[in-house]
Amino acid sequence: MTRDDIFQKVAATLVEALNVDEDQVTPESTLQGDLGAESIDFLDIVFRLEREFGIKIPRNELFPESIFQGDPEFVKDGRVTPKGLAELRAKMPYADLTEFEANPTLEGISDLFTVNLIVSYIESKLASGAKAAA
Amino acid sequence: MQLKDQIALVTGGSRGIGRGIVRALAAEGAKVAFVYRGSREAADALVAEIGNNCQAIQADVAQADSAQRVVDKVIADWGRIDILVNNAGVIRDGLFVRMEPGDWQTVIDTNLGGTFAFCRAAAAQMALKQRSGRIINISSVAAEHVNAGQCNYAASKGAVNAFTRALAVELGSRNVTVNAVAPGFVETDMTEAVRNKTGDFIQKKLIPVRRLGKPEDIAAAVVFLASPGASYITGQVITVDGGLSLGAVSA
Repeated sequence: MTRDDIFQKVAATLVEALNVDEDQVTPESTLQGDLGAESIDFLDIVFRLEREFGIKIPRNELFPESIFQGDPEFVKDGRVTPKGLAELRAKMPYADLTEFEANPTLEGISDLFTVNLIVSYIESKLASGAKAAA
Repeated sequence: MQLKDQIALVTGGSRGIGRGIVRALAAEGAKVAFVYRGSREAADALVAEIGNNCQAIQADVAQADSAQRVVDKVIADWGRIDILVNNAGVIRDGLFVRMEPGDWQTVIDTNLGGTFAFCRAAAAQMALKQRSGRIINISSVAAEHVNAGQCNYAASKGAVNAFTRALAVELGSRNVTVNAVAPGFVETDMTEAVRNKTGDFIQKKLIPVRRLGKPEDIAAAVVFLASPGASYITGQVITVDGGLSLGAVSA
């Protein structure tokens, strides 16, 4: 499956889960900001992706819940600390953090959850599954 | 027939209010699975009375693993769950200064814990797979209009009401409504001891419509909340008590 195939399937899944129009879903769209996803929508998306791609998405893997809930080592004055950034990289290895690292605000975290993030995650998931099968 | 071919699951279904609910849902065309804990004979009799579209499943709702097992069985047998009625409930009345921890725990584990567990077991099926469902929790007027000797029961039912509201908020966008029905004083085994003690006083002096409730009275509200006409009602506690909770004493 090519990256574009994955994107097409992810987009169709989001159209169904979030009740948005097809042309609203671009690789750069943020799930919350652009597509209006709420907390239960993230569960719905995971459920639909599992079904669509025939994979198992462990809890806290694709969409880690409350990464920095109440931990002062990770967040200081509304900004993610270097230690927090390391944690973020560890928890979301498939996320592109380049832009975020330039201005790591707590509010900015939700913008990391993009359509591209899902596509990258699925891509790595399918690749590791293929490797395991080989 | 308002509920033709809908799949319903009712806890505490073999006796009392639960039996009335099972009968009423079946009469509206639903296929009904109900949970009973100990009343095997009553459960078998109810299944025999209703026929093919009814099954009884033995389980104690207070046990942690019961709910998933029951929900899985219903989905395996009938493919979905459209209506979940959390009705199983117990009382262990007694003045608080003498209330044993076990009497507290049993009531909380059954009335609140059972409701949590069955909602938890059915919620993903309803909200994510089906994108439709009705959850109806049987509460009590005794949550708000409290009685001496029921600290445990009042706490459990008050918590059920708050839980009902919070869950309604979470599942609303998935076309799952969550409501509670709060019965007043209903003629069942549960209220027998109090009825024997108080005689006619309650119905003559405290209930404006001048009679005790019947399981059918409660079941009618449950059927309504499960019906298409109630799709815009969620997070509500509907009191069905003949006016008891108005708090008036007849002269």
